[in-house]
Amino acid sequence: MDKIVRQFAKIKQEERIGLMTHVVIGYPSMKETEKIVLAMVEAGVDFIELQMPFSDPLADGPAIMQANQRALQNGIGMLDNLALMKKLSSQVNIPLFFMGYYNTVYNYGGERFCQAAARAGASGLIIPDMPREEEKREGFYAASRKNGLANIIVVSPTTTADRLKKISREVKGFVYCMARSGVTGTRTDFSKNLPKYLGRVRKYVKVPLGVGFGISQGADIKKLLGVAEVAIVGSAVINLLGKSSSVRRISAVNKFIKTLVKASFYGNS
Amino acid sequence: MKLFFQTKYDADKDGHFGDFGGRYMPEVLVPALEELTRAYEEIKRDKVFERELFKLYKDYLGRPTPLYLAENLTRHLGGAKIYLKNEGLLHTGAHKMNNSIAQALLAKKMGKRRLIAETGAGQHGLAVATVAAKFGFACTIYMGAKDVARQQPNVFFMKQLGAEVVAVEEGTKTLKDAVNMAIKDWLADPDDSYFLLGSTVGPHPYPSLVRDFQSIIGLEVKEQLTKRPDYLVACVGGGSNAIGLFNAFLDDQAVKMIGVEAGGQGVAKIGQHASRLTGRGRLGVVEGFKSYFLQDKEGNIQPTASISAGLDYAGIGPEHGSLYESKRVQYTQATDQEALRAYQLLAQKEGILAALESAHAVAAVIKLAPKLAKSKTIVVNISGRGDKDLFITADKLDRKNWRRYLKNQAENNG
Repeated sequence: MDKIVRQFAKIKQEERIGLMTHVVIGYPSMKETEKIVLAMVEAGVDFIELQMPFSDPLADGPAIMQANQRALQNGIGMLDNLALMKKLSSQVNIPLFFMGYYNTVYNYGGERFCQAAARAGASGLIIPDMPREEEKREGFYAASRKNGLANIIVVSPTTTADRLKKISREVKGFVYCMARSGVTGTRTDFSKNLPKYLGRVRKYVKVPLGVGFGISQGADIKKLLGVAEVAIVGSAVINLLGKSSSVRRISAVNKFIKTLVKASFYGNS
Repeated sequence: MKLFFQTKYDADKDGHFGDFGGRYMPEVLVPALEELTRAYEEIKRDKVFERELFKLYKDYLGRPTPLYLAENLTRHLGGAKIYLKNEGLLHTGAHKMNNSIAQALLAKKMGKRRLIAETGAGQHGLAVATVAAKFGFACTIYMGAKDVARQQPNVFFMKQLGAEVVAVEEGTKTLKDAVNMAIKDWLADPDDSYFLLGSTVGPHPYPSLVRDFQSIIGLEVKEQLTKRPDYLVACVGGGSNAIGLFNAFLDDQAVKMIGVEAGGQGVAKIGQHASRLTGRGRLGVVEGFKSYFLQDKEGNIQPTASISAGLDYAGIGPEHGSLYESKRVQYTQATDQEALRAYQLLAQKEGILAALESAHAVAAVIKLAPKLAKSKTIVVNISGRGDKDLFITADKLDRKNWRRYLKNQAENNG
């Protein structure tokens, strides 16, 4: 948690919007995931989601689905997830999150997973298919709290005021606002509705807001300046990795992230 | 007859059947599921809805379906009396239609304009495409590419009915991937679209909703039999035809029930069967519900195999999971070979060509009936008819002639 607070202080001081990027652990390979994360950090991102690969990633579009499949073909499992988190968290200063689906967590044991994730140096968790209604049975949010992990809750434009009110009691770190309904990796039309929707979320939620889904370039990030505190970029990097030859991958990511970071300063808008 | 009734095996208000079920869905779909739950609770109290539905069941679907005493098969097996509940005589050829027409009626009441559905064997897709045509909905059907390849006739029919059929190339290219893609489509358009789930799986309220819309099967059996049956037998993929037969009898402990899973090439090896309960399924949370799934040690869903596309599914409906746990229902499996033999025997003895799914249930009856006294009765759900499987059954049972025919057809028309 401290790391997240510290990172937001830094973002504020540097007068910009924060940037969260995403990798799938083991895609294209374990070694490359590590290098990609380090290249992202070097380029200046604030938060990184390390996605634990799963066979049925419900909220992801084709690009991230295929990356998940590829990672599973590479034999990636929980021990690899934890080992990578441990290795990276000791090398970088920014908060790292585990993102994934609840069956991966459930299968390992919720409590056991939270302990292991915290011990490996994760700052928080993003598990979109674990809704608060099931908490009474699962005790998953309680376990993450106990282990000092922030649970990044995902909300969408369809989330009602009533639910926002309920969710607001459990938020830690920041709230992940889907810019639109649907899955990751398709374009988003940042219509006039976005500020209105985020305003509605802010009425109930008193932590910073991150906006993701369909944010793939500097121009998208500029539209979020003054509207949200974090811009979240996922599939765009996966697509870039898919397109780049293996020798250019890491430098391509580094270069791409730098264009995003450049767009994140208020002074440049 | 009342379509909606409670049993002591029902879910709690959040959709939990004991440890099973629930609603493990991304936040974006929760409002849509809440809206559906409200609509479902309303129609349960709405006598007009029930009346409209019963009229459609009768006039459009051809209900009630016959409960037929299979005398030749009974004599051949030499034990309990065997009754066939012949859902194969329903419009479009399978029990799937009971649920599809009811949910379409519900979607209409909710003001939706488009139906999205997943399909395995194509029977549910066909039923949805049919009701979409009848009620004037736009319609998109997701079907695993592997299933598209083995169920071409149904794909053709769905298109003729005006549906868009999307072949899913992701994952194992079967039913679970079709469910995934259908949910993703719904995620993108939850306001206008209605997700017409075809089995007793998925997040609350679907397992309860689909069960209620299939309960007509058992309700009719209750009226058609003069005395209570001793055994009910049905195949179990997601579990809708089985729960449809069982539900009206669940509270009567004297009625024994058997669910039959797909044994494929044998349950010893993962990837070669779809036996979640009798194989090596473990508890998991996938596609919005908690139940038994065939998964690896990391919780990744494993490939399944069955000669019958409708049973080829890695998860089992949460109410079945709970009925298994409480031992109210006994579960067994039949292999591909046993199902094929049962298909042939039923054809030869009774003149009924059953769907390969239903043939799994018949296979279990072949084992059970001779062990029971002649005074006992078994009701088996013939959930569908076998036309749709022509390309599989003909290739397995009369390969040489069939392939020659296909070759001639292709050449003569090419």
